[in-house]
Amino acid sequence: MAYLAMATGFLLILIGFYGALTNRNLLRMIVAFTIADTGVNIVIVAIGYMRGRTAPILDSTVSAAAAVQRIIDPVPQALVLTAIVIGLGVTALMLAYAYKLYEKKRTLDIARFTELKG
Amino acid sequence: MNALYLIAIGLGTAFLLGLLNEQRRDLAYTLTLGALTMMSAISASWLVVFVATGAGAVDIFTAGTRPPFAINLRMGLTEATLTLLINLTGLFAAIHMGEVLLAKGRRAMAVLLIAIMALCGIVLTRDIFNLFVFFELIVIATGGLVLLSDDEHAVSAGFKYLIVSQFISILLLIGIIFGYHATGTLNIDGMAAIGAGGFALAFFLIFIAIVAELKPFPANGWALDIYESAHPGFSAVFSAATGSAALFALDKILAIGGPAWYPVATAIGIVTFVGANLLALPQTNDRRLLGYSSIAQTGLILTVIGQQDILGNQYLFIAGGLLFAHAVAKAGLFWLSDFVAQRELTAWASLKERPLLVFAFVTFAAMLSGLPPFPGFYAKWELVHALAAADRLALLGWILFGALVEAGYLFRWFGYLIKRESDEKVACTAPQVIPVAAAVLAGWALGFVWGDLSGRSNLLLVLPLLFALGFLLIEWAPAWAKNLLAIGGLSFYLLQTWQDYDPLRLIFLVIFTLGGAIIFLASFHAHGRRIGFYPSAMLMFAGLVLLIQATDSFGFFAAWELLTVGSYFLILRGKESEPHALSYIVFSLGGAFLILTAFALANAVSPAPTFEIAALATLAQPVAPWVFLLLALGFMTKTAAIGLHIWLPGAHAEAETDVSPMVSGILLKAGLYGLFVLLMSMGRQSLYGVDLVNMLLWIGALTALLGNLMAIFQEDAKRLLAYSSIGQMGYALFGLALMNHLGWLMALMFVINHYVYKSMLFLSVGGVAKRTGTRAMYRMGGLITLMPLSFIATLIGIIAMSGVPPLSGFGGRWIFYNAIMDAETRLPMVLIFLSGPIAFLYLFRLIHTIFLGQLKDEHRRIKEAPASIVLPQMIYVAILMGVALFPGLILRRVDAYISQFLPDGALNWDGLTITSQYGWWNPVAIMIVVACIFLLIFGWLLFVNRKAQKVKQFNIVFSAERPYRPETTHFAWNFFAPYKKAMGFLVQPFVTRFWGAVTDLLHTAGDLGRRLYNGNGQIYAFHFLAFVVVVFAFKAGL
Repeated sequence: MAYLAMATGFLLILIGFYGALTNRNLLRMIVAFTIADTGVNIVIVAIGYMRGRTAPILDSTVSAAAAVQRIIDPVPQALVLTAIVIGLGVTALMLAYAYKLYEKKRTLDIARFTELKG
Repeated sequence: MNALYLIAIGLGTAFLLGLLNEQRRDLAYTLTLGALTMMSAISASWLVVFVATGAGAVDIFTAGTRPPFAINLRMGLTEATLTLLINLTGLFAAIHMGEVLLAKGRRAMAVLLIAIMALCGIVLTRDIFNLFVFFELIVIATGGLVLLSDDEHAVSAGFKYLIVSQFISILLLIGIIFGYHATGTLNIDGMAAIGAGGFALAFFLIFIAIVAELKPFPANGWALDIYESAHPGFSAVFSAATGSAALFALDKILAIGGPAWYPVATAIGIVTFVGANLLALPQTNDRRLLGYSSIAQTGLILTVIGQQDILGNQYLFIAGGLLFAHAVAKAGLFWLSDFVAQRELTAWASLKERPLLVFAFVTFAAMLSGLPPFPGFYAKWELVHALAAADRLALLGWILFGALVEAGYLFRWFGYLIKRESDEKVACTAPQVIPVAAAVLAGWALGFVWGDLSGRSNLLLVLPLLFALGFLLIEWAPAWAKNLLAIGGLSFYLLQTWQDYDPLRLIFLVIFTLGGAIIFLASFHAHGRRIGFYPSAMLMFAGLVLLIQATDSFGFFAAWELLTVGSYFLILRGKESEPHALSYIVFSLGGAFLILTAFALANAVSPAPTFEIAALATLAQPVAPWVFLLLALGFMTKTAAIGLHIWLPGAHAEAETDVSPMVSGILLKAGLYGLFVLLMSMGRQSLYGVDLVNMLLWIGALTALLGNLMAIFQEDAKRLLAYSSIGQMGYALFGLALMNHLGWLMALMFVINHYVYKSMLFLSVGGVAKRTGTRAMYRMGGLITLMPLSFIATLIGIIAMSGVPPLSGFGGRWIFYNAIMDAETRLPMVLIFLSGPIAFLYLFRLIHTIFLGQLKDEHRRIKEAPASIVLPQMIYVAILMGVALFPGLILRRVDAYISQFLPDGALNWDGLTITSQYGWWNPVAIMIVVACIFLLIFGWLLFVNRKAQKVKQFNIVFSAERPYRPETTHFAWNFFAPYKKAMGFLVQPFVTRFWGAVTDLLHTAGDLGRRLYNGNGQIYAFHFLAFVVVVFAFKAGL
């Protein structure tokens, strides 16, 4: 199960990279990046997964003393939360940029914004 | 104060700004500045504590637990210094961008605060995921701050940056999670304790992601666009603060990878340093050029990080020296660029009306080029020595090559600034001036600190240099007062120190100080304040006297660089001297790098904290001949030996009237002094069976011949003298390389004589050029009656120079012929003999074309040259007479001194007669004989011509043809045309073409490289991924 998730995650990352490198449309590139981000998040969660254990929540079923044996590693889940927030921020910023670029030239083609070079 | 406040204040103030009313912009701005000031104060207080107590680093734990269960921060000396740099950069950037921040409102300010806070976080954190978060914050903040620019292209630049950042952050995240999976910790120190052996691929991803933040060549097109289009206030942060934080982050994570990754860092660093510098060559946009230079400097520091295994406890000193020199100078230059309205490099000419801004530019350029007394200089010295000691010579070579290219484009830029024209006016506002001033002050202060830390002599405490720098403070004073002070300073130095030196050094010292003072007499002709002249000239003289003073290699090299820089500024003052000054500084720095390498090699085989120059004598095979070769080449760039001479004619000819004698009569002697020291300590060396001294002999002979040949075809009087200097230095080199007693004595005679007559001739020709308004000899003529004193000086000068009796040149010739008798090599001797008459060909033109012949119409009313220019010439006439009559006064002592090294063949000084093994010479008797013959013939001529009738210029009664215009009566142009037909093939500008081709090649390489950056953000992402693959393959191949 964990390997399947991880393979899916990497597949999504590759799809995202491919999409970002082959689509010249700004919006499509941004979508590609969100796919890749999702892939990364899946990989992280898959890394933290341990077979046969429960969610890292201490309540009546899992006592603090038994937690080490019974729950999965909570750290990757915490990392994923952070990564999702950051991904959201960057995506929003990129969308804002895409809007500004479109406003300027009425095009979303990345190859049209090459005034700075050399 | 707890270092967590660095994060808390930045973050807290940013949130607070969000709560403010949008209209309260002044309050928001005040809060922003206050927060940045507080953050700087916290860093500064930590720095003070660490420096004062020498305490170790302090760990700050968060969330009440220790790592790996919580994030910890660390504050040590390095962290305190770096966060101070970051916070101050942020503070001054906020001041610089005050106007735009106020216009955009609190949100922009909050973003700036977040950026600075995150940069501090990158430096402080010991948690790798935390590092990732801070890097992402930088990405978002950068994306926001780029938009502060009013350049419309900033938007596309920001988007390209975001694209690549996405790739970077994905790789980083994958690397981090697998690293965590392998080690069970996110703590960097915890990971380092385990080592990257078990998760090499994951570590590679982390490594490459952080490296990408350093904008490595060639995966950096996105960064260049930001440098070019962002607000310069922010570009300063992007270059100085972001770069420094990323470098420190890389240093941190390299602790995980360990030494196996050092070669990778080194390789990326050096490729970036050389590549970015080459691509900077063809740039014309100032901010893009600064971007390339930033990337190059980061690459250099990355190289140093990769070399930490051999740097030992010098590591932080070197990396820090380079980092601070780069950060302060680059921030300063970006801020300075705001004073310039247009983006072409040539537009910086508008700054030249503001001496203080010019001074700021000089400070920054010198810092970036690693010139003394700035931190980069000390760092460069130690780095080169460490590399030589570890036998990493190829890397050393590439570093120096890149540094030379960088110095080349920086000084070319400075040439534009000083020499080009601009109609723009520079308007200074306080928010623009304060950051630049702060950077200048920081630069000098850092120079002092690094000098202090170096364990060598702190150059900013060296008296001659301080004296020279002191002239900067009295630039407001009139030129005559500064001139008096300069003359006084040089004379005082001579009086104070002359007893400390042996006769040989004393001769050089007298020429450098007293000789300089005499030429300064001519500087009294200048009016006004003559801004920039005295600091430059005194910098050169400081370098010259320090060169004599130096006993160890460091002092020698520092002095060499100082005199090079000082003389460059002097030469650049000439009207048309921009290209010539540039080729001068490039050749000189190239030569200086060779000298540096030689010293480093020598020090590597005979390790000592300070390498005494005298210890050169103890070097053995196989290093000794290489050291000899490098030093000889370095010194010969200064004496303009053939092949390395192309800078000299322009530099000397285009210089101002009183500068020409300084750089010709005095400066060239620095190279000869170096050669003297070299040959005295190292003697003969042979490399692969080639006798190197014999090579010098050949070079000397060829230089003498070709220098003189080129001189005879000149139409420009000062160029003629300049080419003649090349020939004369050839003679001196030849004499030295004879390696016999008389050869050295003759070389010393040349040192003295060349100073006297070349200074004199440059002054008289300069005086004539000043009056006639031209240097072309064929436009002059018949000036003998109008400028009699200049005529006398020229006449005496060429008599002395051509070596005919009775003046001092004859003494030189006499010793010279005796020296040749002693030597075994015949063929170069023939060349030297041949150059004698050739010298006469051009010397006679000075008299014939300038002073004899027909007066031109436009010159009928000109007067003798200004008294201040004539006075030193008359002093020189007196000196020439004195030396001619009593050469023993000086030479006798030197003769005895040289006997220590070469005992055979000393002269016998008996009363007024000087005897060698081949003959004798009595200067007084010769003078009397010549005087008698002269008086006899002169008297006879007067007698037979007593009834001669004076004829005016256009009185044609006694001639056959009618001269309509004075020009037609005086054919001086292309005077030696027949000779040119016969021998012209020898003086084709082969060497000039060769060096031109080298320069073109570098430019072409840079231009080709630029095509990589086609402006498409997607292609840049592809570059990045290709870069990742290449580095991976490189690491796998190691």
